[in-house]
Amino acid sequence: MVLLLVIVLEVILFNSLGRRFLSGGNISNVFRHSVEIGLLALAMTPVILTGGIDLSVGSMMGLSAVLFGMMVNSFGVDPWLAGLAAIGFGALGGGLNALLITRLNLPPLIVTLGTFSLFRGLAEALTKGAESYSAFPKSFLALGNSDVAGLPAQIWVFLMVAAGIWLLVHRTTFGRSFRAIGYSAEGACYAGIPVARNTSLAYIIAGAVAGLAAVILVARLGEARANAGIGYELLAVTAVVLGGVSIFGGSGTVSGTLLGWVSLAMLNNGLTRISDYRIMDQTVASVARELSGLLTGLLLLAALAIGAWTKNLATRRARGQSHPENPPRSSPP
Amino acid sequence: MSRFSRELTVAGALGLLLLILAVFAPNFYHLQPFISRLTSQMPALVAAVGIALVIISRQIDISIGAQLSMCAIIASVAAGSGLPLGAVILTSMGAGVLMGALNGVLVAWVGLPSIVVTLATMVAWQETLRLWQQGRMLALPEGIQWFGLSQAAGQTAVISVSLTIVIAAAWAMKNLALGRFIYAVGSDAEAARLAGIDPRRTTFGVFVLMGVLAGLAAVLNLVQSPQVQPNCGDGLELKAIAAAVVGGVAINGGRGTLWGVLLGLLLLANVNPALTHFHLPPYWEKAIQGLVILLAVLADGLGRRKRPR
Amino acid sequence: MKRKSFITTLALFATLPFVSCSKSESKGKLTIALLLKSKGNQYFVTCEKGARIAAAQINAELKVDGPINSDPAKQNEIVENWITDGVDVIVAACENKDSISTALRKARAAGIKVVTYDADAQPDARSFFVNQATAQGIGEQLIDTAATLTGSEGEFAIITGTLTSANLNEWIKHIKARHAAKYPNMKLVDIKPCDDQKDKAQQETTNLLSTYPDLKVIVSVTSPGVPGAAEAVKQAGKTGKVKVVGLGLPSENNAYVKEGVTQGVILWNVENLGYLAIMAGAAVAKGDLVAGATEFDGGKLGTMEVTGDQIILGKPVVFTRENIDQFKF
Repeated sequence: MVLLLVIVLEVILFNSLGRRFLSGGNISNVFRHSVEIGLLALAMTPVILTGGIDLSVGSMMGLSAVLFGMMVNSFGVDPWLAGLAAIGFGALGGGLNALLITRLNLPPLIVTLGTFSLFRGLAEALTKGAESYSAFPKSFLALGNSDVAGLPAQIWVFLMVAAGIWLLVHRTTFGRSFRAIGYSAEGACYAGIPVARNTSLAYIIAGAVAGLAAVILVARLGEARANAGIGYELLAVTAVVLGGVSIFGGSGTVSGTLLGWVSLAMLNNGLTRISDYRIMDQTVASVARELSGLLTGLLLLAALAIGAWTKNLATRRARGQSHPENPPRSSPP
Repeated sequence: MSRFSRELTVAGALGLLLLILAVFAPNFYHLQPFISRLTSQMPALVAAVGIALVIISRQIDISIGAQLSMCAIIASVAAGSGLPLGAVILTSMGAGVLMGALNGVLVAWVGLPSIVVTLATMVAWQETLRLWQQGRMLALPEGIQWFGLSQAAGQTAVISVSLTIVIAAAWAMKNLALGRFIYAVGSDAEAARLAGIDPRRTTFGVFVLMGVLAGLAAVLNLVQSPQVQPNCGDGLELKAIAAAVVGGVAINGGRGTLWGVLLGLLLLANVNPALTHFHLPPYWEKAIQGLVILLAVLADGLGRRKRPR
Repeated sequence: MKRKSFITTLALFATLPFVSCSKSESKGKLTIALLLKSKGNQYFVTCEKGARIAAAQINAELKVDGPINSDPAKQNEIVENWITDGVDVIVAACENKDSISTALRKARAAGIKVVTYDADAQPDARSFFVNQATAQGIGEQLIDTAATLTGSEGEFAIITGTLTSANLNEWIKHIKARHAAKYPNMKLVDIKPCDDQKDKAQQETTNLLSTYPDLKVIVSVTSPGVPGAAEAVKQAGKTGKVKVVGLGLPSENNAYVKEGVTQGVILWNVENLGYLAIMAGAAVAKGDLVAGATEFDGGKLGTMEVTGDQIILGKPVVFTRENIDQFKF
């Protein structure tokens, strides 16, 4: 709940120091511009819950975007159909990660570091780095640029995905197994959970959602290029971890991820609104990008430190009744 | 035999690549470009040694690229203010120690996960640099490039310093108590603690060592040209981690040798020049780098395939 | 508990767009927003310097922003934020022509005047383009310089920033076109990206030099590539034998030009480009510069000619051993 406090603080601070932070148009901008990162953060949550990580989602966006643009522009496929196909390609890419991680017992960090390079590389090779696709029908671009019932159109897609992932993680036995696997894969195995199958699904979902994020990004920008989504994987991981999901797996919630994402999105936008105050001889707004990076780092450390500290207190109180907790470690065997 | 199978596989792959180059692109072996190429990989090698120690101790540090940039810029500002070469080198390593110690305190004593801590410090150093230098390329005073020596002597110095570090670290990992502590803490922190090793102190020490090596790598980088760019460390973390992993360092800690790291780095570093020499279009570069990493871990996975979950 | 916090979160989303609270603002002063292609890049830092001089001169409020990495979506985000901000003029250097045009069209629809500089958007997304030199002009000048240095024959290679960078690709396209049309005896052997890192440009050039021993000239279309290539040529002991030309800042190439490693550094007066872009933006906002105009008052640069919907800054400067010390950027 620390994050709710952070968000409230941000709203108060940015609204009093900055210009028009809470105007309807600006708030809808905040969400419109961060939907893609939000989707990746949502998709990353089950993966991190199982004790894994997926560094390839940003590159997957690049590859899906290029494939999508190619289908629509070079082969005349209907954009909605192509969008579905892009999600399918994302799922395939996720499947490749899943195959290597669960069937060959390879560490997720390294596998997805490899596919991080591979997917982006394929996107560049397919377009020779230079080509881009920009002939999309207006009806498709509306997905990225219009409002539906007072909210940006893509927010509705986002909310559906959020609800879906929340239901999956918190309301199905299948989804609960993610945390069990992250807490102890071996234990989960003895408890009869099909560990490999369920872990695979987390990566496949992550790939599919990355494909969806690519389609939404293309709809917003009106252009598909091999550099789509560059660097988004770390922003997504940041949102997830800030939201209290343990990077070692086993604990965390989807709503935590959402709060982490909202607080980062507001920080990113809010600082650019502060043009009446100066820092180091420049207005805050003109150094907002650099400052928000710095503050993100600090916020992340502070949130984790508070989390570790409260947990420590709780363990100390509980000591004597239960076993002292083992030091946390990520250990997908 | 099986103990060093990974090192042998990588050495085999590297040997094969070098052999193909020798047959189809003998130009690769002209002395000057060969030496220049080798010299330019040395900062990454030193960083990879550091990251290998960090990974063996079961941690990770993704802030090393940002650390290197920061050290290089601090060192060049120091050089610009007229400090002698020795002091410049110490400044760079000192800056590295401070940044490494910050990571170390947060990971070892506060108990935060290293991937998140170093993600945060990475962003923090990058943005500090951007605010401070605005991307300005800094010119270095005379007497810094090649340590004030001739080009040939300078290149020899860079290469021999780096190889000395690999050899010293490899020896220390095997023969010194600290080295064995690192393996012990990496395989099982709790068991190490029961055996009388303080895992926190070891972890802290490893991050500080990483900082020292990042500072040294920064010096080895900036002596290679008369100007320094604030983005000079960008992407180093991925390169170094990939080299360590391809070289057989287990990402879950406790296993790996520095010889493997050396081979892994040489293999990855030669992929790109090889592509140029084989006249392949540049847009295949990233995909092939990714494939090499995947193949290396795949070989590992197939080799020790057991106990499927 | 969990369900509760999830619902709270949803409620937060739902209510925020409807909470609105407008703040009074100082009116009367012209607000100009300057969009950079990237922050922390010397080229645009210099542009910004010129822009600030212009803004101070005409007493306008200047906002400056730009992405800090190569994320293509960031420029759109910045422009859309400015639209809700209600700025009067947006003066933009465009990274990705097609995607940024989507956002600039929205700005025009909201009544904001749009002028582009440095790299253009689609023509329907802005009213004027302050052009430092056309893409064609840049490409041709580069290859012409290279050709002059080599007697129009021999192998050459190109160093670029990233493979996906739109306007670098545009310049390369014009280099290739001119090459095909005018210099049949020259041969383009390779194009290598350096990720805008000087050190990587140096390594790539070392590889190029050993792969192609007959290489005559290296053309860099990105500014960190010029000193990087020069250092590699110098270390290979091929100073003068392999020429280096490229687009670069004089300060970064001063030493190499004087040593004779780099023969041609080409650039326009970047500070004046920033200055002129702001003057043009302000003139459009005040109605002094409308479609069909043939000239406008460029402040300290004097009366500037308008050709169609473009304002040309002037000829690029070729920095040589003789004149490079006069330029302080």
